[in-house]
Amino acid sequence: MGERAAAPARRSKTIFSGFSGEQVMLAALCVYVVGLCILPLLRLLTEIGTAEPGTVADVLSSRWTQGAAWRTVEASLGATVVSLVLGVGLALVLGLMQLPGRAFLTFLVLMPMLVPAQIAALAWLDLTGPSSVLLGAVGLAPPPGTRNWLYSREGIILLMGIEHMPIVFLAVRAGLRSVPADLVEAARIAGASTTTVISQIILPLLRPTIIAGGALAFVAAVGNFGIPAILGIPGRYTMLTALVYQRLSGFGPSVLGEVAVLSFILALIAGAGLAVQALSQRRARVTLTIVGGGLKPTDAGRLGLPVTAAVLLVLVPASILPLIALLGTSFVKALGVPLSADTATFAHYLTVWDNQAARRAFVNSAWLSLGTAFVSLVVAVPFAWFLTSGRSRTARLLDGAVDAPYALPGIVISIAFILTFLRPLPLLEVSLYGTAGIILIAYLARFLALGVRPVVAAFVAQDPALDEAARIAGAGALTRLTRILLPGVAPAAGAAVLLIVMSAYNELTVSALLWSRGNETVGVTVFNLYDEGNTTAAAAASVLAVLVTFVAAALATLLARWLPRGVLPWQA
Amino acid sequence: MLKKMLRGALFAGAAALTASAANAADLVLYTSQPTGQMEEVLALFNEEHPDIEVEMFRSGTTEVLNKLQAEIAAGNPQPDVLMIADSVAMEQLKGQGVLQPYSEADTSVLPEGQYDPEKHWFGTKLITTGIIYNTDAGVPAPSSWKDLLAEEAKGQVIMPSPLYSGAAVIHVGTVTQQDGMGWDFYEALMDNDAIAGKGNGSVRDAVSRGEKAYGIIIDFMAFAQKNDGSPVDFVFPAEGVSAINQPVAILSTAKNVDAAKAFVDFQLGQAASEQAVKQSYFPIRAGVAAPEGYPDPATLNIMPLDAAALMTSTDELKRKFADLFGG
Repeated sequence: MGERAAAPARRSKTIFSGFSGEQVMLAALCVYVVGLCILPLLRLLTEIGTAEPGTVADVLSSRWTQGAAWRTVEASLGATVVSLVLGVGLALVLGLMQLPGRAFLTFLVLMPMLVPAQIAALAWLDLTGPSSVLLGAVGLAPPPGTRNWLYSREGIILLMGIEHMPIVFLAVRAGLRSVPADLVEAARIAGASTTTVISQIILPLLRPTIIAGGALAFVAAVGNFGIPAILGIPGRYTMLTALVYQRLSGFGPSVLGEVAVLSFILALIAGAGLAVQALSQRRARVTLTIVGGGLKPTDAGRLGLPVTAAVLLVLVPASILPLIALLGTSFVKALGVPLSADTATFAHYLTVWDNQAARRAFVNSAWLSLGTAFVSLVVAVPFAWFLTSGRSRTARLLDGAVDAPYALPGIVISIAFILTFLRPLPLLEVSLYGTAGIILIAYLARFLALGVRPVVAAFVAQDPALDEAARIAGAGALTRLTRILLPGVAPAAGAAVLLIVMSAYNELTVSALLWSRGNETVGVTVFNLYDEGNTTAAAAASVLAVLVTFVAAALATLLARWLPRGVLPWQA
Repeated sequence: MLKKMLRGALFAGAAALTASAANAADLVLYTSQPTGQMEEVLALFNEEHPDIEVEMFRSGTTEVLNKLQAEIAAGNPQPDVLMIADSVAMEQLKGQGVLQPYSEADTSVLPEGQYDPEKHWFGTKLITTGIIYNTDAGVPAPSSWKDLLAEEAKGQVIMPSPLYSGAAVIHVGTVTQQDGMGWDFYEALMDNDAIAGKGNGSVRDAVSRGEKAYGIIIDFMAFAQKNDGSPVDFVFPAEGVSAINQPVAILSTAKNVDAAKAFVDFQLGQAASEQAVKQSYFPIRAGVAAPEGYPDPATLNIMPLDAAALMTSTDELKRKFADLFGG
């Protein structure tokens, strides 16, 4: 795919002599973005448009569809409330107070983002279940045979709420920086208390930001698959993502038409959330334009330690304990046995290593995520350049299309790709379905936005005069891109690669429906190991998977000092 | 520079592709038998055939078949050997031309009806579906399928879903064909707040933990759980049980036919049959005794099944079931 974007440009002198390198490059980008980000989604629409009469009505009138749609809305709204309470609260505390260990606290807040949903669900089950290593150690484990309460609507709401809390936190923290410090200063001088300042000045100003962040958390919850699948299916609380998965695995490719309708409903619900987000973000931009400095955290004084303790009281159970429980389960000899130096074992890691499919999955996810990152970058750099240099209206039109596969639920994307690529490709006579190819192109579509955004930010921060000067001196598009522009955006590009690798390596929602034997992913392996009852091996595989994400995050943080602000979500 | 990077990426991509193709196993097996048991089975198989590396994909029969059908649709079926719950599904696959006959297979030890006369599939065990109940739950011991509709059973029944389990397809198919039961029985179950889990394993877990008092389940899972000390027992209801024979078959697209045949031979042999008995299965092979405490297989009351009728209606069955229980 990548060569499509750049190779024609290199040969432009010989083959495309009638066009400038720039035009050829732009055309190639259009083909890429339209082919990956627009056509499959259109294919999903035509599938519904051309479905046998009755199919759509049947699906819509089924009480299981209606139930799942309702539960999706209900649980996602509930989770949004949890995300809002935690996210806004933590952002206010960490954004307004100079607490000791603030960087570490911020890291803890953002940690749920680094742990994929299915692993978070497993970790929480390990933490709270009867065989909990941690609770067992302090004698608080529920008696054997007790059903874990997490298998319920409330469990799903709590876990999705925590999982997507960082989205709200990041939005609100960014919003705080654009609250005019003068305003707060003036109120203080006028004698307003902290409570008054927060409730009368800061929160009203932040309202559009909070709504936008909440809407994004809602969209993320609607598209979540790991938590509804692991908690909701056994808990008889079937949400749309889980229903799509169940229907496809229960009936096979013959029900693609119906599943397309289900994923369209899913897309509509997510779309409603995205619309709210777009509207309030526009308002946020208008209200929060400031001239003077933004709000800075102030000395917490005597309150510093107690507030830090309170924050830790929330964050340790939310971010750290589940991971420790997961680690414990991965080392315990057998479920229910207390963990000690005598009972600790590496056996489950060896089980993962001995499992051909699992071993293959780590290799597959590595090259799929690296390949996705590399190709996306090759596309993102010229695309971001066209977008920011203002020389192409086409690029701006395509900009929204780039975001769609990332914003929409992953299950919707995978159904769209199955519909588009199940039938053999024209000319080649082979189907991509059942190969790693379909996972790769679905990833390319889904994660392109993660490549484009940081690079766009870097281009925006760059001085346009350099490029202009080179152009006047007669340098062609490719020369300017590689000699002038690329070196400037290199750190952002590196960060983009790491963001994509982090997201794609542990991804489950897209590959859950696209994997095949030989083409397993890490996300699928963890899910399947758990599904067949091998909880300890699932824990071991999860630990390894999370380690990879943490290493990538650490590498990205090392790049942070060369990056424009906001490229790394966890950058302070 | 770009050129070099591109070439590097292409090379890395190609290397990764060939690497994942190169570690292909000698024999690829798709099965619905529980993973823990299959590990024992494959260990025993490798004692006889240490040179054959087996790679297994395990899920419920329905999921295994849907995976296979998707692979066939894409023109790239993966398994050499298939060992799934029931012969109805095997007959469907045979009709589809997906299986190859193994005419030299030794079927002399199998009773008639437990293998395809044209030798496309061979039964390996006898598995019946009856009722499991929790003996600590304080509910009356069931003796009839109708007991699951009683007031004491309201909200207390769990069953496997045919959208996952092949045994459940046969069971629902058999029950709905019986006079006096039919789909009315499943509608009554729904009215009594029965739920469908995933596979039989989910039924075993829910009943042995006491979350549900009754479950519809395949016999060996209940017996194995009882032998492990769980407060459960298994009942063969008066109306009869449904039965499957966990057939094994070789795909017509098998890449390693010799290894596949070795696996079929192994499954039909004495050692595998004895191991199956240890794993709490009724043996299908003549001359192998049933596990201790089991009734004589000959005395089992098995409800009649019109397999031909079920063959053409499994999709409709799954759909009706999904409408009632959500799958």
